[in-house]
Amino acid sequence: MPDLVLRCTGLAKRFGDVVAVDGFELEVGDGELLCLLGPSGCGKTTALRLIAGLERPDAGTVEVAGRTVTGPQTWVAPERRRVGMVFQDWALFPHLDVRGNVAFGLDGETRTRVGELLELARLTGLEDRMPHQLSGGQQQRVALARALAPSPDVLLLDEPFSNLDAQLRAEVRSEVRRVLRSTGTTAVFVTHDQEEALSIADRLAVMIAGRVRRSGTPYEVYADPADVSVARLLGQTNLLPAQITRGVAMTALGELDVPDAPDGAAEVLVRPESLRATRDPIGEARIVNVEFYGHDQLLRCVLGDGTEVDVRLMGPHPELQVGTAVRLELIGAARILREEGADARLRTLATER
Amino acid sequence: MGAAMAGTARPRRRVPVGLAAAALVVCGLVGLPVVYLAFRAAGASEGSWDLILRSRTVWLALRTIGLAAAVTATAGAVGVAFAWLAVRSDLPYRKVWAVLYALPLVVPSYVGAFVLLAALGPRGLVQGWLEPLGVERLPDIGGFPGAYLALSLFTYPYVYLVSAAAIRGLDPSLEETARTLGRPRWDVFRRVTLPLLRPAIAAGGLLVALYTLHDFGAVSLMRFPTFTQAIYLQYRAAFDRTPAAILSLMLVAIALAVVAAEQRFRGRARYYRTGAGAIRDLPAVPLGRWRWGALVLSAAVVGLALALPVGVLLHLLVRGLDAGIPLNLTVGAAGNSVLVSAVGAVAAMLLALPIASLVARYPGRRANGVERVAYAGYALPGLVVALAFVFFAARYAPAVYQSLPLVIAAYVVLFLPQAAEPLKSGLQQLSPRVEEAGRTLGRGPGAVFRRVVLPLLARPAAAGMALVFLTAMKELPATLLLRPTGFETLATRIWTSASAGLYSRAAVPALLIVLVSVIPLSALARRVGVEEIRGD
Amino acid sequence: MARVPRTGVLLGVVTVLALVAASCGDDGGAAGAPDEGGSLTVYSGREEEFVASLFEQFEADTGTEVDVRYGDSAELAATLVEEGDASPADVFFSQDAGSLGAVAEAGLFAEIDPETLNRVEERFRSPEGLWVGTSGRGRVAVYNTEVLDASELPASILDLADPRWDGKIGLPPTNSSFQTHVAAMMLTIGDGPTRDWLEGLMANGVRFYEDNGATTRAVASGEIEVGLVNHYYKFEVEAEDGSLPISNHYFESGDPGSFVNTAGVGILASSEHDDAAQSFVDYATGEEGQTWVATETWEYPVVPGYEPSVDILAISRFVGPESQVDLFDLGPVLPEALQLLAEVGMV
Repeated sequence: MPDLVLRCTGLAKRFGDVVAVDGFELEVGDGELLCLLGPSGCGKTTALRLIAGLERPDAGTVEVAGRTVTGPQTWVAPERRRVGMVFQDWALFPHLDVRGNVAFGLDGETRTRVGELLELARLTGLEDRMPHQLSGGQQQRVALARALAPSPDVLLLDEPFSNLDAQLRAEVRSEVRRVLRSTGTTAVFVTHDQEEALSIADRLAVMIAGRVRRSGTPYEVYADPADVSVARLLGQTNLLPAQITRGVAMTALGELDVPDAPDGAAEVLVRPESLRATRDPIGEARIVNVEFYGHDQLLRCVLGDGTEVDVRLMGPHPELQVGTAVRLELIGAARILREEGADARLRTLATER
Repeated sequence: MGAAMAGTARPRRRVPVGLAAAALVVCGLVGLPVVYLAFRAAGASEGSWDLILRSRTVWLALRTIGLAAAVTATAGAVGVAFAWLAVRSDLPYRKVWAVLYALPLVVPSYVGAFVLLAALGPRGLVQGWLEPLGVERLPDIGGFPGAYLALSLFTYPYVYLVSAAAIRGLDPSLEETARTLGRPRWDVFRRVTLPLLRPAIAAGGLLVALYTLHDFGAVSLMRFPTFTQAIYLQYRAAFDRTPAAILSLMLVAIALAVVAAEQRFRGRARYYRTGAGAIRDLPAVPLGRWRWGALVLSAAVVGLALALPVGVLLHLLVRGLDAGIPLNLTVGAAGNSVLVSAVGAVAAMLLALPIASLVARYPGRRANGVERVAYAGYALPGLVVALAFVFFAARYAPAVYQSLPLVIAAYVVLFLPQAAEPLKSGLQQLSPRVEEAGRTLGRGPGAVFRRVVLPLLARPAAAGMALVFLTAMKELPATLLLRPTGFETLATRIWTSASAGLYSRAAVPALLIVLVSVIPLSALARRVGVEEIRGD
Repeated sequence: MARVPRTGVLLGVVTVLALVAASCGDDGGAAGAPDEGGSLTVYSGREEEFVASLFEQFEADTGTEVDVRYGDSAELAATLVEEGDASPADVFFSQDAGSLGAVAEAGLFAEIDPETLNRVEERFRSPEGLWVGTSGRGRVAVYNTEVLDASELPASILDLADPRWDGKIGLPPTNSSFQTHVAAMMLTIGDGPTRDWLEGLMANGVRFYEDNGATTRAVASGEIEVGLVNHYYKFEVEAEDGSLPISNHYFESGDPGSFVNTAGVGILASSEHDDAAQSFVDYATGEEGQTWVATETWEYPVVPGYEPSVDILAISRFVGPESQVDLFDLGPVLPEALQLLAEVGMV
């Protein structure tokens, strides 16, 4: 990992009886784009606000570029942290034009810098527009350019795309990634959209109930989500109850080899793309729903014991219709998960027997 | 991107020490009269308590509350209706009406009530016109109908101004959403627009209700006994300040209840646009066959509340000139009025800032408490506040006694809510995210306040200052008792002539008040009718 | 962008400076004035429109500079009581005896030079010598001469409770002259008969007005036929409105309706300009002052030997309650009068 630019340790914050953030740990390296993924209400926004200094934590420390900005005896005001922020609603200054917004955090000779940023954000020509005269995508880019203007050590982005429609979102997303890359900005960005998180992040931190449960590259986290809630957050998931006896897990899909797993009840994670369905008149599964996406399709199948599983197949399969009997095979990895405390969790690669 | 009602989303944050201290200082100043009243009431003998705790006092309280409720309801309905007509409808000459609707605010209620009596009295002007038709006398409008009519007519502009600004700030997509959900227009108004206007209506209503509680001129002329009238009577006729103090404290209690009611009505919801401040223009709603009704209603109200007073004053003036009574041209007094009212407006705005910030940004029980204390003075009759300042200043601050700073201080105590209410609404519409964005861009709280909050508050602050200015122009009792000796304002000139029964001599300063006040008010009201708003 | 706040700050600074300058100007004017004849601060509950000329005359004759604060008599009395020893006032010039009594009761008046005091008719001064009357104001019934003949009016005020006057009478119930008159009636004919009379008026649907002027105008317009007011309002209203169909009716001498109230002056014990204050009181009750009352006002001089200039009933013919009631006794009765008025529903 490159040099650390942001480190949070043991951050905790409660509002009255509600625990928003608890034992929050995070490390972000220089130039890294880290995505904080979590369901709504998990404390992501509060975590960002604690890092930015917009809230005071009940406990914990925040270090930015090697300097402690929040600690037991330390408190650095938000304006002195060199931490930038792009808000969910962008919070553009309604009384300032584009230039005024971007120049807000700049001192001295600002013209050149504003010009650079506007060019970078592809806003050239819109300098004199007021925020209400801009489209959503443009407002988004103004907010980004404004936050980048003072060259913050870390840029925080709070669900920056949630106010955009789907098509624009994809466009702006790659645009933002390009801008952040080209400026080498270290950024932490919050979202509840796993697709957004997986596609944009260098590293992913999954946050549930106030703490980071799992972090790593998008691939690592997707492949090995560590526990049930994390797995669920990262896309369609089949979770099958299993009973493990002497290295063999009994599931509705059949028996799986789990050589290292201790005996007892567990759940088996099987991603839809790890399953294959083939038409088979004597297959024990039957298709109950088909969602066709063009490049792939998602089938919902019901097993003999009533368990439902999702199967993702690439390419068109017109022969698979609702009601078709199919045979299911495990073609990728399955994992045994136990929903317990982080330390007690168990990860075992399962293979079909 | 719409205006969001973020229910209880943002949890309570810690109040900055500076803000808390500033708010407490303001409360201390505004609370002075209450301290004085408590001191006076503490000296009460059992006899004075007996005097107070009689059924008559309950009866007085009920009448006072009844009048305040009736006036607030009427002024609220008229104010909101006019605001909607001025901002959203295709009423003919909409922009002219937008200014005219606000103008009755420049008529002092004592002048307005006097004029209504002169016009609508049993043998008044109107009866004179009707005499050829065999109308010998009109029913007496004195008592409740007169007080209710006068106060409603001259206070509805508070609601009008505040709600017009709020209607203009509404996100049209909310109404459009409701209409696409198949709701008819009236239903949309009732279920979407009106609830969104709640904070504005509450703010305007609060100003009207507290004004009604402290008004003496109109109720006295219309002979409708209220608490304020009873307090004056204790001072003026019985020379007994103890029952006056007890009655005043009871009035404060009523006022606190009114403020608490407003706090409840306002609700816990906070209203600000979560969008980036984009404001589209609102489409005009065609009135269709209702336009004639709207025109008649507008003409009737503006006629009674503005044309009639100005007409009667002109009539008095001409009659006086005919009788050879010299013109009471009081340029110096006009200058003085403008000076004290302007300084009072600026001072009230500065002191309202911490209160409004506290209430808008750190809502909760403490903020509500501070707000209640800060608003108590507005419900007190000017005479009571003036005597409290006499007591403290003559004894403990002789250097400022009978000086302009003391007059200004009294204005702040009397009119603080008029400055605070528009500020509060302005702050509530300003998303805290915008301030936080400033902080994360490397600007300290001071710089963010100066460069972000102040410019965005410029308009509500101007509105608040205009309200204080207009009310201070008309203020009489505190000015009379606290002014430097020989310092004349237009209001004291009116009083000087009217108390001597010389109404035609009172006409010139009264017309001057109207004239001088029209300038800032029409500037304020013209914004209501303009098409587009954008940041300056 | 930053112009808005800067303009605001500038505006604030300028106005504050203007304010300071204005208040300094005032102070400078008062403090820097040549102190040749001394200076005097008067709290005047009497209307500027009527009494300013007296002060001007006094300044011209004595060289004493007079600062006059005008206000409502009762409100100024309340102010004096709140100020206590810290009062900047030297003299209180009141419209009525009630306000003088309130200040006297608070122990704030100094004694008036006996020589000055004794020249005023006894019934118009405080027996302790704490205040002295300057002019008298008779209570009358003003009536509309188009609908009533002088002979139709009763000799006694008590007869106005007769049903014959149903819907025809008006009065200003919150006015201190009226309230003082009621207090005087309570002292002379007793609480019961006074209450009966007031209840009779109520039963007659008596109409209420804001003040004497409004009552008098209502009589002139024919809205009512009879109004209970002070005698000079007929002249005041006519001065502004021209000749009107109104005339004063005086109740029979000795009747409780026949009553003269007094305007007067007192000297504040805390005054540092005692000499100037005494000389003003001397002036107001002396030849110049009483001549001024007789010629410049429509009120009654209170020193024997001066006659009013307008055609009004001789003051000696008013032998009403005040012949038995000392005006200074009215102070304590006023709250009771107010109470009674509240009970019958007049205030």
